[in-house]
Amino acid sequence: MRKFIVILLLLVFILTSVAALFGQTKISPLNIKERTLKNGLRVVSLQDNASPTVAIHVWYDVGGKNDPEGRSGFAHMFEHMMFKSTKNMPNEKMDRLTEDVGGFNNASTADDFTNYYEVVPSNYLETLLWAESDRMVNLNVDETNFASEREVVKEEFRQSVLAQPYGRLYEFINSLSFQTHPYKRGVIGNLDELSAATTKDANEFYKLFYRPDNAVLIVVGDFEQAQFDAWTNKYFGRIASIKTKIPRVTVSEPERIAEKRFLQTAPNVPFPAVAITYFAPTSKSADAPALRIAETILSGGESSRLYQELVYKQQIAQEASFNADIRVDKGLLYFLSIASEGKSAAELEKSLLSELNKIQNSLVTANELQKAKNQLIARKLRELETNDGKAIAIERAVAFQGDPKTVNTDIQKLQAVTASDVQRVMKKYFTDKNRMVIYYQQEVGVNSK
Amino acid sequence: MKIDKSKIIRVVLALGILHFAYLFGAYAQETPPAPAAPKSVRIPAVLEKKLANNLTVAVIERKTVPLVTIQLVVKSGAETEKVEKAGLANLTASLLTKGTKTRTATDIAEQIEFLGGSINSGAGWNNTAISITITSDKLEQALAIMSDVVLYPNFEQKEIDLLKTQTLDGLTYNLKQPGFLANYVASAYSFGEHPASGTPASINLIKRENITEFHQKNFQPQNSVLIFTGDIVATKANALAKQYFGKWENKSKNNPTVFKNVGKKNQEAKRILVVDLPNSGQAAVNYTKNLQGVPRIKQNLFFSATVLNSLLGGGYSSRLNQEIRIKRGLSYGAGSSFAWRVGYSNFGTRTQTKNESAAEVAELVLAEVNKLADGSIAESELMPRKSVLTGSFGRNLETTQGLAAAVADLYSFGLPTSELNSYMNNVQTVSDQQIKNFAAANLMGGDIVIVGDYAKFKDDLAKRFPNLKIKVIKADEVDLSKENLRK
Repeated sequence: MRKFIVILLLLVFILTSVAALFGQTKISPLNIKERTLKNGLRVVSLQDNASPTVAIHVWYDVGGKNDPEGRSGFAHMFEHMMFKSTKNMPNEKMDRLTEDVGGFNNASTADDFTNYYEVVPSNYLETLLWAESDRMVNLNVDETNFASEREVVKEEFRQSVLAQPYGRLYEFINSLSFQTHPYKRGVIGNLDELSAATTKDANEFYKLFYRPDNAVLIVVGDFEQAQFDAWTNKYFGRIASIKTKIPRVTVSEPERIAEKRFLQTAPNVPFPAVAITYFAPTSKSADAPALRIAETILSGGESSRLYQELVYKQQIAQEASFNADIRVDKGLLYFLSIASEGKSAAELEKSLLSELNKIQNSLVTANELQKAKNQLIARKLRELETNDGKAIAIERAVAFQGDPKTVNTDIQKLQAVTASDVQRVMKKYFTDKNRMVIYYQQEVGVNSK
Repeated sequence: MKIDKSKIIRVVLALGILHFAYLFGAYAQETPPAPAAPKSVRIPAVLEKKLANNLTVAVIERKTVPLVTIQLVVKSGAETEKVEKAGLANLTASLLTKGTKTRTATDIAEQIEFLGGSINSGAGWNNTAISITITSDKLEQALAIMSDVVLYPNFEQKEIDLLKTQTLDGLTYNLKQPGFLANYVASAYSFGEHPASGTPASINLIKRENITEFHQKNFQPQNSVLIFTGDIVATKANALAKQYFGKWENKSKNNPTVFKNVGKKNQEAKRILVVDLPNSGQAAVNYTKNLQGVPRIKQNLFFSATVLNSLLGGGYSSRLNQEIRIKRGLSYGAGSSFAWRVGYSNFGTRTQTKNESAAEVAELVLAEVNKLADGSIAESELMPRKSVLTGSFGRNLETTQGLAAAVADLYSFGLPTSELNSYMNNVQTVSDQQIKNFAAANLMGGDIVIVGDYAKFKDDLAKRFPNLKIKVIKADEVDLSKENLRK
């Protein structure tokens, strides 16, 4: 039995090598180094001296799903506080150490994780390692900063949700898709619960989740490995180990038992839209690569099925997409479409479901399959152009696969997907009882178009 | 999420003690370690050649990643279209990829996407660009498609009809967003231009013959530059350029002479324009000014303006973002920019805030603009803002796409490509006095443009600006083709 598997693997290898000869550009594996400090901090590094810059990412295993009860949006709001003062740095010192020397910094909060990152001229690497280690343990949360940053986050909510015609629809996709899992709250939260948050919440949250054994340091760029390791030991190695357990989200979302439908309205919505969601498998599922291929065949570019059918031929939609929003616990697979002038959400739904039927009932063509693979490989190559892009790719491997090395194997997994794999996953997850449908349109009587 | 609250508190207490011991036991306050010596950034050389048909071919070789960007720049954009046909340049550019004599729109998308790439085409104010980024082994196939769409588009009526409908739907959608609407009205009100995306009225007026004429007149090799950046050697790029664009013929003896928009006469007094968008989730607050006599090619003015902008509204720690976001929490972000033209430029600040604070934010923006002319600029503030510019300049050149865009920009204004190498030094030599002079001479007397739910800031606006006339237009009555901007 064992031997048989080895032979199969060899065959796959030969087939992919042949593919490589016939026009598949080869992506050289990233030669990443990985180690874990005594306090539990995982360190992933990739030396690349091609340009004199370095990308530094600190990834924390905490996200919107870890918001405290009654504090929707908290993890994200806390992320803003990480740019304020620490024991050793005044407010916005991170900007002085990055922006002011020709670099940049930012951070983002997702459902499953939070990341902080900067790209700086490589002669500032030691300075930034010191600074990241400092804000991992020495943050001050004061009332003035907290109050002001809360207002900033509220403006962020207004800008991304309220001031955009389809901003609220994205919030509905989460809040109506999930019943029990905290994914239902969305990362940005809501104005009332942001108002309720206190500095006490912030201090508790910081101590619970911001610790070396809940973080991964990823550094890519212009450094010498031995020097980098020494700096990492010096600045991160001295952070004390913490023995207490990190709280994890353990609640699981129940399976859907019957289709659900909703009608939602909002002001300033010029055209009706529809969202159709299904539960996805977890990010480590073996079905994820086939779903990624299906996403590309349905929705990757103007030659994709949804564009060709709904936008180009039927002309009922100005946008039609399918998204494999695969998350660590259980994400969403969803169709989203905005109608053309005079067309209805019902027409969009009918056509989207008809496209779903097609991909479930007959195999995708060899040409479509190869095109999807070519698109995904080229996208990855473009991502690997910069140090920051490489760090992002490694970070994604950490976040969704729990292993930075998978950055070097994800393309092989995509290459191995067959037409029948695509058909199988499209049948498996897209069942009638796993469906939730939202119609979204202009509210009646107010500012109608 | 269900977590036992009392348990959290116990955990926190335990952690708190550890944390405390760590802070005071391990070390006293530290200062950050100093940086090592800086390394220099290498800016690659542009290798330029002309084909027999006068098409300029520019190549930047860089072999770190097997990718190539091909970009064809035609040096005519929205500035050459009449206001009643606003959007013509952009429609023409978008239609290139919607069918040729031998390929349908679907064929083009299918073929380029099979290669793992995409083909983008669009018009800005000064130029039209068509670009593809592709793995280097697919370069020739991609170039064959690009050459076909540039030389032999067939502008089929059904594709024109579809694109017009899509553009109109897109406008309807965008005009519900306060930020877009503010830029849209400012293009006419403050800059004396028209939106390059067109208006509902102008899109409806564009006919096939306008498109074919625009293409005939402007898409000529003598008016264009073909740029290659990335994993390719110049000799091969030149040979490929000749193979795929050598047959491209000039339609006129000389470069096309076309109508060019000239912007707006400088006005003296500040004015306020409000576009009322009821139930808008936020108000967009812009300060806008057309700058006659400040064209891109005047290098001393360009670099003064560029450093001024970094100080005022370029990047996170610029003055506008400091005052509006960081100090007061009034917005998610505030910034400014210059839009460069051949004969002038347009200056604008942008931010969005809750409707209730629109007037307060307008006042803060004005104060910061005025302060550029009367306030002082410390060297300790100016130096980091210059680093922001040089740093992002270098980062933009890290990708083949960024390199191609930078080169395309220089060719569009007829500037020498050697500016890639002098940019950093030119930024460094701008003085605080040059910035103050520039601000005093050019930025005063502009317009405040606010788009939002007027009822929520009407009284506050009148109170804060008692001496300025406030013009109000309802969002659904906006018509840029009318002198008073109203239907």
